[in-house]
Amino acid sequence: MTIAELITEASERAVGYSSDECLKCNVCVTVCPVARVTDLFPGPKYVGPQAQRFRTGRAQPVQIKGIAIAPSPDVTVDWCSGCGWCTTACPAGVKIAEMNSQSRARMKAGKRPKLRDWGLGQTDLVGSLGVLFSPITNRVLFNGPIRTVMEWTVGIHRDAPFPKFGKRTLQSTWKRRQKRRGTMAVPGPDRAVVYFHGCSANYYEQHVADALVEILRRNGLETIIPEQVCCGLPMISNALYGDARNKAHKNIDVLAGYARQGYRIIGTSTSCTHTIKAEYREMLDIHDDDATLVANATWDICEFLLDLHERGRLNTRFGRLDEDLPYHAPCQLRSHGIGLPAMELFALVPGLRAADMDHDCCGIAGTYGMKKEKYPIGMAVGAPLFDKIRASGASEAACDSETCRWQIEKATGTRTRHPIEILLQAYRVGDVAGGTESSTLAPVGT
Amino acid sequence: MPSADVVVIGAGLAGLTAALTAAESGARVHLLAKGHAATHWGPGGIDVAGIPAARTARDGIGLLAAQPGHPYAFLGDDVAEALEWIRSHLAAGGAEYLGDLDTPLQLVPTSIGGTRRAAILPAGQAAAMGPWASGERLIVCGVAGFKDFWPEAIAASLSRERIWEGGNRPASVTHVSVALPGLASRHNLNALEIARRFDDPAWRAKAIEALARALGAVPGSGGRVALPAVLGIREHATVLAAVREGLPAAPFEMPLVPPSVPGMRLYAALRAALLRLGGRVVIGEMVERVERDGRRVTAVVSGAAARTFTVRTGALVIATGGIAGGGLVAERDGRLREALLGLPVEAPPADEWLAVDAFDPAGHPLEKAGIRTDADLRPVAADGSLPFDNVRVAGSLLAGQRNVRDRCGDGVALTSGRRAARLLSAVPAGHAEEPGSERP
Repeated sequence: MTIAELITEASERAVGYSSDECLKCNVCVTVCPVARVTDLFPGPKYVGPQAQRFRTGRAQPVQIKGIAIAPSPDVTVDWCSGCGWCTTACPAGVKIAEMNSQSRARMKAGKRPKLRDWGLGQTDLVGSLGVLFSPITNRVLFNGPIRTVMEWTVGIHRDAPFPKFGKRTLQSTWKRRQKRRGTMAVPGPDRAVVYFHGCSANYYEQHVADALVEILRRNGLETIIPEQVCCGLPMISNALYGDARNKAHKNIDVLAGYARQGYRIIGTSTSCTHTIKAEYREMLDIHDDDATLVANATWDICEFLLDLHERGRLNTRFGRLDEDLPYHAPCQLRSHGIGLPAMELFALVPGLRAADMDHDCCGIAGTYGMKKEKYPIGMAVGAPLFDKIRASGASEAACDSETCRWQIEKATGTRTRHPIEILLQAYRVGDVAGGTESSTLAPVGT
Repeated sequence: MPSADVVVIGAGLAGLTAALTAAESGARVHLLAKGHAATHWGPGGIDVAGIPAARTARDGIGLLAAQPGHPYAFLGDDVAEALEWIRSHLAAGGAEYLGDLDTPLQLVPTSIGGTRRAAILPAGQAAAMGPWASGERLIVCGVAGFKDFWPEAIAASLSRERIWEGGNRPASVTHVSVALPGLASRHNLNALEIARRFDDPAWRAKAIEALARALGAVPGSGGRVALPAVLGIREHATVLAAVREGLPAAPFEMPLVPPSVPGMRLYAALRAALLRLGGRVVIGEMVERVERDGRRVTAVVSGAAARTFTVRTGALVIATGGIAGGGLVAERDGRLREALLGLPVEAPPADEWLAVDAFDPAGHPLEKAGIRTDADLRPVAADGSLPFDNVRVAGSLLAGQRNVRDRCGDGVALTSGRRAARLLSAVPAGHAEEPGSERP
């Protein structure tokens, strides 16, 4: 065994060996959204700390006295959506969701991944091709018969929510803009932040990026958008740890340079920022100084804005938004351990009646709810949330995570936006009310 | 970094009580906890003082208050008020409780075939109280395939006279096991899963019919039927009414091993009340340390992904629990450490930690370990001084109680949680209200 392998095995222990802390109290089972709706998944305790005792920690079965010890004794771990609620609720500190992800990766290691799982992991590839051929891809993805065929052949559910590809990537839009503006001195870390846009803002939701840039500018901060790749989470979720590590290293290499200079790295996707903050180290075992440096410099946008506010530096000239706003906190946000910063920010907007829907999971859990066999589970998990949002009668809802927004929008027909889009709207209403000049940037929204 | 008037650490009964009390007085409250515990583990009753020498809980409070160092010495007078307060909140949240301080303490049967002293129980368990009439039978009714409840074993144990301490008991204890729709072939069934099915009206109707049929086939009539505590979670009140209506004997729930469905109902009702008053609840990270300005705690710092999560606060309630909850940590060198502030722990010497029987009727020596406070629940330092102005201790972290032996934990949690929050709400907050900030 090489030293690298030894180190990998040792760090797996941090997650894997936390099963020793398990009291078998079943608290994790009480919060599991998947076990709530289906008998297929026996719940986090059984596939997590309980099954962990029988795992060898290796991908291939190990022969002990002629008996093959399987890498994972319980294939039902594949029904885990990875939402992380079990880890959150555990009073003993067992890393249950992380354990499940690792054992799923071990279970699938050495086997050829399903084309579907592989494809759902390759968000950069799918995104680039999708944007390149967007007039065609958008037509295909919103065509009923084609989606039916896709369900049969690829295994992506015909009704799964898909976003529309943008006409070009954020990266290329940004480069063009920079070119037009000509070379400018890059402001220092007190005047600018680095934006980790993730795949959604790059390929699908440029309006979220536009909102971020304008909000930061209204707070005296410029935005730097370095070249970057997918954070790797879709690969982690689809048991493609090797690919995920490659992505992680590429991002760390770029971002560490900025972090070292004192720049903060801001993301608009709570799942990307959580991956960089926690999973590069905890799940992918990347433990060098740069990984830690980058993790420590990374902030979710709402966390960042609330921090500005607490330091008295947030521009709070929000205009009045007289509306009800149902808000769903994504599972990945809970794993940040920072409360619900969007709700605190909404409270600064006069008239805005934001209401936390207080529901565990919308059911999409990244790419989980898109898969043919898991789609009905995802919809059942999210059903109470969809009912609440529909019952609120509100014209729009808010949620920090893109796949959740797509899921909610698809299931409820209610337009669902990133919290910063709501805040930007409030700023703009404030401009009109306060007589300040409106921004000259492109309008927010598609 | 959000700011609060009061931060409460711990999501058990003491923490929830303190948070809700503070929120009622208009304080901005953050409740932080590393996970769920006490409520999800316990039987869901409100144990105030279940000691053999007492006829009622009120008697018990008096006897415990006279014990040297027991928290009831300074909290005992508050129990009645606290009880009334929590019951109104629970009833509003669909979790009605029956019995009070003057209800005679009675032996109620448990799901391991023993008995325990209780007087204040959730409505679903209340039919277990009340004297057994002459000739009155008890049927223990299980769910086929459900491994957390063994009717045959429970009935066999409850048939023994000594389990009832020679007193009033059912004339006969029989058992039956019922296959409920879609469950008989299941492995790994847990209580919560069955409770959720009872919430569904269509499934419920079929299940009650199956239960009624099986119970009807048991010879004899009337009496009471003990069921596992799985009678609905969100719709518990409706389920309970339907089960009462549909069964030929008076039903009551027996609390089970965790996850405790009655405890989850209690937690849900109190959490919902707290959220309605604008309280913030953050579960999942351990509070690592506090920031201080002299004798005042100014902020609470918990773990978070890649960094810490700091809540600025005017005051702090520590309701982190005892040894089981993690508020006290036993070191290998034979010391007990208070996990957050390093407060001095009042505890027996290490060579008295080990007892032959963890559930000795005389109590375990470590049960009394905890933090000594003054009557205002301020922690007292080793030299008798009061090191913190704006910190209060509540719940099973308080020294001097033996809540396994004396079943006083819920009473101490309620009264200390209430008092802690009231005293802190009177302390001027450590910071000014943010201009322009509105509570949602």
